[in-house]
Amino acid sequence: MKLSALLSTIATLAMIHGAHCSPPDEAEKKLKSWVDEVVAVADRASDTKTLRKNITPILERSINFEFMTRRAVGPGWRQLTPDQQKEVIRLFSTLITRTYTAKFTPGEHPMVLFKTPTSPAPGRVEVPTSIVYKGSRYEVVYRQEESAAWRITDVVIEGVSMVANYRTQFDSELKQGGAASLISSLNHSVSTQP
Amino acid sequence: MNILAIKSLPLILIVALFTGEHCQAGSVKNKTEKVKPTSGVVNEVDEYADAGKISDPLEPVNRATFWMNHQVYRYILKPVSRTYDAVVPSKVRTGVFNAFDNIEFPIRFVNNSLQLNFKRAGQEAEKFAVNTIGGVGGFVRLSDRIPSLVDVPRADTGQTFAKWGMGHGFYLILPILGPRSLRDTFGLAGDYALDPITWVSIVFYRYSWTLALSCPDTTRSLHDKLSSYESLTDNTVDRYLAVRSAYVQNRKQLKGRW
Repeated sequence: MKLSALLSTIATLAMIHGAHCSPPDEAEKKLKSWVDEVVAVADRASDTKTLRKNITPILERSINFEFMTRRAVGPGWRQLTPDQQKEVIRLFSTLITRTYTAKFTPGEHPMVLFKTPTSPAPGRVEVPTSIVYKGSRYEVVYRQEESAAWRITDVVIEGVSMVANYRTQFDSELKQGGAASLISSLNHSVSTQP
Repeated sequence: MNILAIKSLPLILIVALFTGEHCQAGSVKNKTEKVKPTSGVVNEVDEYADAGKISDPLEPVNRATFWMNHQVYRYILKPVSRTYDAVVPSKVRTGVFNAFDNIEFPIRFVNNSLQLNFKRAGQEAEKFAVNTIGGVGGFVRLSDRIPSLVDVPRADTGQTFAKWGMGHGFYLILPILGPRSLRDTFGLAGDYALDPITWVSIVFYRYSWTLALSCPDTTRSLHDKLSSYESLTDNTVDRYLAVRSAYVQNRKQLKGRW
């Protein structure tokens, strides 16, 4: 009798525990903490330079740049040597970080509303959010994947996926001049823009 | 021979639009098949391959127009927008934006109705009444305080055509106006026809002040358009492809929200 009561308690606890740590919840919790950090930085910063400097470490913790780069390059990834792959990841990370930080204006407070997360496949979670920023409302979906931990692998703003946008561009570079052409145009973009 | 070609042009275009839709449906099907064997880890599944795809047979011409538009943006539009932002206080800018947005209510109302989405049409009508009466002619967007009216997706004529089953056709870069698919170019004509600002300009076409009327309308939307153009094209490898992909993805989401 006692034993069965104990077992059922354990079972119930396990269920509750399971529900608490279900992947979407965990991924969402992580995302919320990163977003809070970014918003805090945006609120505090007085100029664009400090803003960029302080957001970058948060992005380095929250984004899986390797996954992002692989998806953006597509099947052509296998043609690249390990050194080229490293170089592409490094350059692409710089572009992603810049694109993301350029969206913030110091002193403007973004209001982020989190909606119910979904899991389109095992190890993947999509968290839809609604962001009100500078008087406009944007629908933003954060795609996350679990490798060692949950990390962001794509940001979809008003239906426009960051990764998909680069995928089209990288494809045409690879077709035109292979890995060398891809790396040189990435270098060009990194060095010419602020 | 030439006359025949011109006469049959609309027919060819319409056929192109509908065959375009068929191709799209096919590629979507392929995509779901490819995605199936996904398991959390990075894999060879290439889910982004078709995301921003559209047929672009006029690419060389489009690229030339795109380059021209970019020069216009750099040397004319950006300075104009900057001056407007510097001269006009932000509260007034928002007010002007709201007022013009409010006047353009028929575009959204009629298209919602044509898409048989009467709930949205009703929301638009309610929004128009609230903002016109309570918001001093639309200057204040009072409707933002009513939760059900905060987030009403915008309807336009291109979207109505999409809803009726028309595909994009092919991709075009219009001078100044920028990216549009063939379908959305027709849609743009519909939007102009439904825009009260156009009606006023036509009725009073003799008077030059009608030009001034469309000026703030252009400038107010300029700020938003330019900043999204910038954030889209800075840090890219190929500006033209970035805009094309974003255009297709964004239009797809608008259709999806219906």
